[in-house]
Amino acid sequence: MATILLVEDNEMNRDMLSRRLLRNGFEVLLAVDGQQGVDLASARRPDIILMDMSLPVLDGWEATRRVKANPATAAIPVIALTAHAMEQDRAAALAAGCDDFDTKPVELPRLMGKIRALLGEAG
Amino acid sequence: MGSDAEQREGEACPFDAGGLGREATLLRATLENMAQGVAMYDANYRLVTWNRLFREYLDMPDEFFTSAHTFQDYIRYLGARGEFGDDIDIEQVLAKRVAQLDHPHRFERTRPDGTVLEVRRDPVPGGGFIAIYTDITERKLAEMKLREDEEQLRAIDAAAPVGLIIVDRASHTLLHVNGGVERLLGRPAAAFTGRPVEDVLDSPERGRELWDILSGPPSERREFVLLRPDGTPVWTMVAHGDLDFRGAPAIIATFVDITDRVKMEQDLRDAKEAAESASQVKSAFLANMSHELRTPLNAIIGYSEILSEDAADNGDTAMVADLDKIQAAGKHLLGLINDILDLSKIEAGRMDVYLEQVFLNRTVDEVRTIVSPMMEKNGNRLVIDCPLDLGSLRTDVTKLKQSLINLLSNAAKFTKDGQVSLTVTRQHSGEGPGSVRFEVRDTGIGMTEEQIGRLFQAFTQADSSTTRNFGGTGLGLTITKHFVAMLGGTILVTSVPGEGSTFLIELPAEAAVAAEPAKPLVDAGAPADAGAITVLVVDDDPAVHEVLAATLGKEGYVLRHARDGIDALDIMRRDPPDIVTLDVMMPKIDGWSVLGIMKSEPELAHIPVIMLTIVDDRNLGYALGASEYMTKPIDRQRLLGLIHKFTPGDGAGQVLVVDDDPDVRAMVRAAIEDGGLHAAEAGNGREALAWLNVHPAPSLVLLDLMMPVMDGFTFLSEARANPAHADLPIVVLTAKELTEAERSYLAQNTLLILNKSAQPIGTLGAALAAIAGRSKVATGRAG
Repeated sequence: MATILLVEDNEMNRDMLSRRLLRNGFEVLLAVDGQQGVDLASARRPDIILMDMSLPVLDGWEATRRVKANPATAAIPVIALTAHAMEQDRAAALAAGCDDFDTKPVELPRLMGKIRALLGEAG
Repeated sequence: MGSDAEQREGEACPFDAGGLGREATLLRATLENMAQGVAMYDANYRLVTWNRLFREYLDMPDEFFTSAHTFQDYIRYLGARGEFGDDIDIEQVLAKRVAQLDHPHRFERTRPDGTVLEVRRDPVPGGGFIAIYTDITERKLAEMKLREDEEQLRAIDAAAPVGLIIVDRASHTLLHVNGGVERLLGRPAAAFTGRPVEDVLDSPERGRELWDILSGPPSERREFVLLRPDGTPVWTMVAHGDLDFRGAPAIIATFVDITDRVKMEQDLRDAKEAAESASQVKSAFLANMSHELRTPLNAIIGYSEILSEDAADNGDTAMVADLDKIQAAGKHLLGLINDILDLSKIEAGRMDVYLEQVFLNRTVDEVRTIVSPMMEKNGNRLVIDCPLDLGSLRTDVTKLKQSLINLLSNAAKFTKDGQVSLTVTRQHSGEGPGSVRFEVRDTGIGMTEEQIGRLFQAFTQADSSTTRNFGGTGLGLTITKHFVAMLGGTILVTSVPGEGSTFLIELPAEAAVAAEPAKPLVDAGAPADAGAITVLVVDDDPAVHEVLAATLGKEGYVLRHARDGIDALDIMRRDPPDIVTLDVMMPKIDGWSVLGIMKSEPELAHIPVIMLTIVDDRNLGYALGASEYMTKPIDRQRLLGLIHKFTPGDGAGQVLVVDDDPDVRAMVRAAIEDGGLHAAEAGNGREALAWLNVHPAPSLVLLDLMMPVMDGFTFLSEARANPAHADLPIVVLTAKELTEAERSYLAQNTLLILNKSAQPIGTLGAALAAIAGRSKVATGRAG
């Protein structure tokens, strides 16, 4: 089954989303800040990354940039997750190299659609 | 004539009676035609001759002239008739009159009918006297009128609610100071009159200033502050004109007290500033609050969803229903928070527009997915008519989607077991890209005219009971209306109560940036290749990173992020950024320490640092070497201006201000920076030419005309003679009165002539940014 790296500093958000992803049959890796996310991405090569944008240590935009700058991880699709549909966030996320964008709170069917689309493309 | 004849025939005038022949007749005729009344008395004071006017003026009865009478009889008669007033002792009057008869004398007598007679009595040689009566009523009236006029003028002058002065043009002496001045200044007019106008004010400089106003063109009205003896200022509006006063050229000037108006204006300005700052605080508060509110809501929604899924797996349908209610309520609350946040951003002018190519079919499909559950809930059928060949339009997809969702969810809410339709059509009108029309029609409860009138007002649903019955914030339509306006479109509504409503949005196929007036000129002056510029944001508050990422990321700046000072210094040492924004209050080490360390390390010392903090201690900041200091909440427009200022690049977005007055330069610089441009300064034409020779061409030169060393005209001709500067955009900002020839020369060689007194300097920034042509459409980099 596909492995998802969830980079999220908020404990409740991390817990909720990871449980629902597990329930949907994914393997889930967790990172609590941007630096951990970048490190885990290169160490474990997940199939897809769900990246919160406001993260400590290294924020989501910078973490994405680093993932995309590393040839070993550049091909991993990244979906940016931010609060409220702020269009500037979306633009900034896409500019940082994210492949797609979704807003929190997560609508699971919609997010699953995006994940499957990217995994299909990647696979 | 008849009376003349009567007199001659019937009254036996002694001259005639004597029958002295031709000479006497001549004399008689002369006497009769004199313009005065004449009476002659002999040595015994007997009336011997008189003329027609005497009889007329004195109005004596006929028998008085037909028998012999004396002066004494005459006086007694007048006395009896009351001509000397009541309660008089006639004998006393008589004695006094008779005593006067031995010498020439004259007096005036007002008769009971109001006529005024001047009476002259002159003794004649050989005894007796001649009395001559002149009617001086008209002269008296004229004199009285003149006196009254003068008194009235004096009263007006004294009571006038404006100060009025008359100044001798040659000597500057105050010839006249009225009561209005006394009241304005609380000093008597005598304190001023006779002194030169320059000397009566609190200082010689201010005296000269007043004289300059008074001797300037009379058409000009100027404000001038006078001081009372206790130092209280009195704001006045001075108007003046020329006057010939006592035969010499003079200046007449009025001072109208406008202190109340000035104070009111100041109060208004203060109130406006307070309101603006309150509005900014409100926006920041709402942004933070909504973030704080959303975080726990996310947990409520998310965990209820998980529990609901668990319950569904366990077949516990009752539990599923309850959990879904929690979830629905949470989502509803979240929607409200988002609406309030959107509206507060719109009201604060901070809602940005991101234009991109939007494919209609895809967008409508996404909208359908979102609104379908709402339709099913009320048993409504959703009919979408969106032909596959509709193509795309250039607009802001989020705002378009939100607008459509708002209209459709409204339709679904107010329609039960009916039909809601969305029809999308492309409109072509002549040339140009045309427009796209979105029509949302329902078969719901509809609205009355009055309800439609209130429809787009914030927090007003068509009926206050609506909120209870149908839910919602009542903000959806207000937000939609703002969004549509930002996208350059229109929204129309028609409705029939009981039959349904139709909302029609029409958007231009190519939205222009001008469609959004609230958009600040944040893009002005962005360097052509900002992509190479890195900005390190140092702040422990994630919201600041978000705001800056959005603001600067959009401009193409590369952002680095640090959440504390240690991290910031690490990043800087590894890869020095071009610009740093630095918070003060942070965990581990604070911003002051970071700034101090930076300035002590040669590799970091040159990096411009913008302090971005709630601690308002700019002196400490500047002392430690900060380049700029901004207090939170972040004014994004100003921040962008500062970032641009420190962005190494070409002269784009730069305005060269050429003016010899440093105060004007400072004001203009502030205005320019407010407009998102940056400014360079030169004190005269020569300095400006020197600056141009060593700098890239600026976007604009703002040129004063009257300057020492080299004036604006010389600068213009020199600059235009140099091929490098022949096309330099130049705007003239001058206080000079231009001649036709000068105006025409400037019109050929400059973009625009602005008048310093007509153009408030505060508005220059936006005007210049527009002229500099640096305002570009903010487009998302979604590509």
